[in-house]
Amino acid sequence: MASISSRRLAKELMEIKNDGCPVGINLVKADDFSTWWFTIQVMGESLYKNEQFTLQFRFDPQYPISSPAVQFVVTDGKEAPVHPHVYSNGHICASILGNEWSPVLSVIAVCVTLQSMLASCKEKQRPIDNDRYIKHAPENPKKTRFHYDDDT
Amino acid sequence: MKVIIKRWHAVAQWRWDTGVSSDDGDEEGDVCGICRVPFEGCCPSCKVPGDDCPLIWGECTHVFHMHCLLRWIGTAASNQQCPMDRRPWVTAERKVKNLVPGAGAAAPSAS
Repeated sequence: MASISSRRLAKELMEIKNDGCPVGINLVKADDFSTWWFTIQVMGESLYKNEQFTLQFRFDPQYPISSPAVQFVVTDGKEAPVHPHVYSNGHICASILGNEWSPVLSVIAVCVTLQSMLASCKEKQRPIDNDRYIKHAPENPKKTRFHYDDDT
Repeated sequence: MKVIIKRWHAVAQWRWDTGVSSDDGDEEGDVCGICRVPFEGCCPSCKVPGDDCPLIWGECTHVFHMHCLLRWIGTAASNQQCPMDRRPWVTAERKVKNLVPGAGAAAPSAS
């Protein structure tokens, strides 16, 4: 039997292919229902002008009941954006990926939220605990219990 | 002219009465927000739509396939909140005919 995630992801993929992605977001690869990649750019004036990042989504069979594991790709010469909520290993501290995940959200909704998180950035800097975090960070960012301390 | 009916096929259609007008052009209103399958279809773990895969209404007015909502509410991550508005999920009691204006409200005042 097809898992919950494959049916839902098939619908999301069809919508992406029919309607396209929002401006600045592009589908790179979605060959299966376990891992998808997107490129993300911030449109207009921002600290990330002319920069492009790659986002990786990993889904388990319970998606969308269970949140996707989302992170920036930091291999093959790609880098995570320098942002107070983005660790240099690509992990992202964003509440909608953790305790504020809701099954009515979607892959594109997450992309748009992260895009606006970058767009509203006022100062390019790493999280203050970056060095400590990446030393002990689990491979899957979902295993990290982030502490969400502001609403930016 | 005389017409003789040799055969006829009855065709019926059913829809859940979600209490939400579906002709406001908002197609999103007709699918379960969790599985994105139309309300008249069934949740991903059922094969037959209808009474075996019913809808559930919250007091917040949001509607889902019952199985989808219960699967979400059953997780610790849900905090027992509605996926749409994050308010504590309270299942609404649905009264038949409660959509008719005044039908239910008039009775108590008459007694």
